[in-house]
Amino acid sequence: MERNLQKNGLVNLVTLLLVGGAVFGLARYSNVLSGQVAAVFLGLGVLVAFVSWFQMRLEDRERLEKLELEEMARSKASATLFEGKDAEVFPAQRSREQFEKFFVPGFTVVLLILQGVAALFLWRWLAKVLAPEPFRQEMVAMSLFALLALILFLIGRFSATIARLENHRLLRPSANHLLLAAYLCAFVALAVAGVKGEFPNTDLYVARGLVIVLGLIAVETVAILIFEIYRPRVKGRVARPLYDSRLVGVLAQPEGLVATAAQTLDYQFGFKVSETWFYTAFKQAARWVFLLQLAALLLSSCFVFVDPGEHALLERFGRPVAGREVLNPGAHLKWPWPMDKVYRYRTEEIQTLRVGAPEEEDEHAQKVVLWTVAHAKEDNFLVANRERVDAGATASPEGRKTPPVSLLTVSIPVQYQITNLVQWVYNHESSSNLLQQLATREVVSYLVSADINELMSSARQEAAMLLRDRIQAAADAQKLGARVLFVGLQDLHPPVKVAPEYQKVVSAFHQKQAKIIAAEAEATSTNTMAGAQALALTNTAEAERIRLELTATARAAAFTNQIPAYQAAPTVYKQRLYAQVFPRAIADARKFILVATNTDNVIQFDLQQKIEDAYIEQVGAAITQPKK
Amino acid sequence: MKKNLLTIIISAVLAVIFVLLLFTFQVRTSEVAVVTTFGRTTREITEPRAFPFFKWPWPIQKVYKLDKRIQNFEDKFTEAFTADGNNLLTQVYVGWRITDAKAFFPKFAGGSTVAAERLLEDIVTAAKQSRVGQHPLGELVNADPRQLKFDAIEAEIRAQAQAQLALQNCGISIDYLGIKRLGLPESVTQSVFDRMTAERKGLADKLDAEGQAEARKIKSSADLAASKVISTAESKAREIRASGETVAADLLPAFQQNPELANFLSSLETLEASTRSKTTLIFDSRTLPFNLFTGSVTNK
Repeated sequence: MERNLQKNGLVNLVTLLLVGGAVFGLARYSNVLSGQVAAVFLGLGVLVAFVSWFQMRLEDRERLEKLELEEMARSKASATLFEGKDAEVFPAQRSREQFEKFFVPGFTVVLLILQGVAALFLWRWLAKVLAPEPFRQEMVAMSLFALLALILFLIGRFSATIARLENHRLLRPSANHLLLAAYLCAFVALAVAGVKGEFPNTDLYVARGLVIVLGLIAVETVAILIFEIYRPRVKGRVARPLYDSRLVGVLAQPEGLVATAAQTLDYQFGFKVSETWFYTAFKQAARWVFLLQLAALLLSSCFVFVDPGEHALLERFGRPVAGREVLNPGAHLKWPWPMDKVYRYRTEEIQTLRVGAPEEEDEHAQKVVLWTVAHAKEDNFLVANRERVDAGATASPEGRKTPPVSLLTVSIPVQYQITNLVQWVYNHESSSNLLQQLATREVVSYLVSADINELMSSARQEAAMLLRDRIQAAADAQKLGARVLFVGLQDLHPPVKVAPEYQKVVSAFHQKQAKIIAAEAEATSTNTMAGAQALALTNTAEAERIRLELTATARAAAFTNQIPAYQAAPTVYKQRLYAQVFPRAIADARKFILVATNTDNVIQFDLQQKIEDAYIEQVGAAITQPKK
Repeated sequence: MKKNLLTIIISAVLAVIFVLLLFTFQVRTSEVAVVTTFGRTTREITEPRAFPFFKWPWPIQKVYKLDKRIQNFEDKFTEAFTADGNNLLTQVYVGWRITDAKAFFPKFAGGSTVAAERLLEDIVTAAKQSRVGQHPLGELVNADPRQLKFDAIEAEIRAQAQAQLALQNCGISIDYLGIKRLGLPESVTQSVFDRMTAERKGLADKLDAEGQAEARKIKSSADLAASKVISTAESKAREIRASGETVAADLLPAFQQNPELANFLSSLETLEASTRSKTTLIFDSRTLPFNLFTGSVTNK
């Protein structure tokens, strides 16, 4: 007798719909990330269950149609009825075939798109979650997730068994989705328990794992669609529904995988490995193994291994354990979870926070950092400007006052270390955030009374030391339990828009120095040349003096010697001297000798100009050809 | 039977854990717990103890755990007028904590600290705007630390906000408050940039002028020193020449022995010296020795 499985399909659909809504609402309310991802699985399961249920209805109609036709055929009431075309005779069959031919592939494509988009969207969404929000009513949420898992499991198991026994291909997809959803809800409950325990990121990791599974299912759907194109169509052979994921089936009924593995082993070894004593014993001991694993898990929570560079806080029922509040690096024993809980912190690690502009990702890769090139997002701080304090405010183009202040781009790394873990954890909800605010406050309060020009030059180191002390004092006042190690003012400069003008000032300073140095060089040259010229003057004078003296002496001596010759023949001597001197005296002079005396020509010489040869020829011609 | 016993044991263990989790809860040192019974606050637990606390399972009792440590947040970067009419952007950070969980819990849905911070932000921002408006900019930014009232303004904002909180009886107290950021609106920032640019340009021009002036001073000093040195040298040269002339003058009596010869020799020297170059001489035949040409063939 063939059972009517439509009701089972409808129950599966309604269950998936209701539980899906419940899971989504519960996950949203409790801030459980993995629960929200599981709700997406349930949503996709609702679609699959609906389509499979609808297909079941079509098949049922077809079955009824055939029964009616068989009945009518037996009665032979109207043989002519069977002479028409199939579409007219078997409308239900025709509908079912059309549905399988067009709607099912179309729906599978839509399903694939939904799976892919959901996987992508969820992955991006989870990537943005740096610190998950704290759970609300986590115990209630965990209990309800476990309860929903139980409901889904019971109904899913029932449906899966019926589907297997009846070999009903259309009931299997919704049954698989129910079972998968049951396991997902159980995982979600475990994730919540993990977060409640000592693994705060369990929920996030489980959520990411589920998104990966969703992505794999989408990939499998793509493969199914491609294979469907090339699948040989054999008439009368019933195909597996396209939307029935094998991966979902394996995840929902992993025992099927074990059975397949056992069959493979049997085939490989050539005998029934699955019937050997070892395999049988292993199968029987599986529950014990599971129990032992649970016990081992619980026992493992009695040991704590604090890594080097870490310290841990030990709490028993929420209260620090007297004498053992802080666990040093090494191995420690504790009561099992949830009695004792350990919270680890990297205390020896030198941590860094930034005041002002945050550090860019590629900032450390930059080889050259210039004021004029933006190397990080600018964060401008107000700085006092001593030069402008007395000048008062001026008006901006919009009518707002321009106060007598300057702006400074600031990005100050503050390095610190946790020194008192108890204070660091128990005094403030977010100690690192508070330290950031205290550091920023101290920087602001320092800058408002600091002079920008001093700060960027001579006072930089002094300011860094002072700021470190002031931040430390502020942290101590708040009992932060942290030691400030370093405050770096290396990235303190005028805003990029103004920075070129600062460079021009430096350039002008150097140009000033260059001008002074050039003037000094010229002065040195002038002084040196003046010294040389002075020496030359005195030397020349000295030479002249010597020459004068020696010439006078020599001339006097020569004169004394000439007197006797002159006295002996005055006229001759004078004539001789004249004859000796005259050629020498006129040797280099241009000479014109007018020898002819018997002419009356008037000759004019322009002695201001050089006398050309042509002119001389002209004069010569005038002499040789006297006027008539 | 053995298989069922094991299943029962596992189920029992899981059930015990589940029941314990439903009926007990822990409170950490850093927490304060509020227990409600059918929605009514019935218990407040401020300190943990050596064993878990009991509660009836949901939905009979609910446990709300609140963080009793000092929590901090910062308000928005808001613009206000200072007493002297400057537009100033300010941001403060606030450290607050729950001092009375029973008073705190009903005022914020589910003991939400987010809702509490929203309320606090409104109060603190109002106090901040009010106090900033009472002070000139020079009391917040000034190169003279004596004129600064940074700490006092922070204290005023905190006192005003604390007073408002006390009126509302929220179970919250402010532990600290500090000015985290000061800034200027965009248009004013641009004006400040322009002014800073002008200042720098003025400084650059000043340095340039200083350089030129300094160079000129150095050069003129050098010229002065050079002039002094050369003048001194010229004076000394003159003296040297004079001393030479003195020596030469001492020899003049020797020429007095025969003045006619001495003058003739002197004339010859002068002739030789004055006709050495670039001289054009025009002689006629009367000049010795050109008189030798007189009566020659050319005159025929």
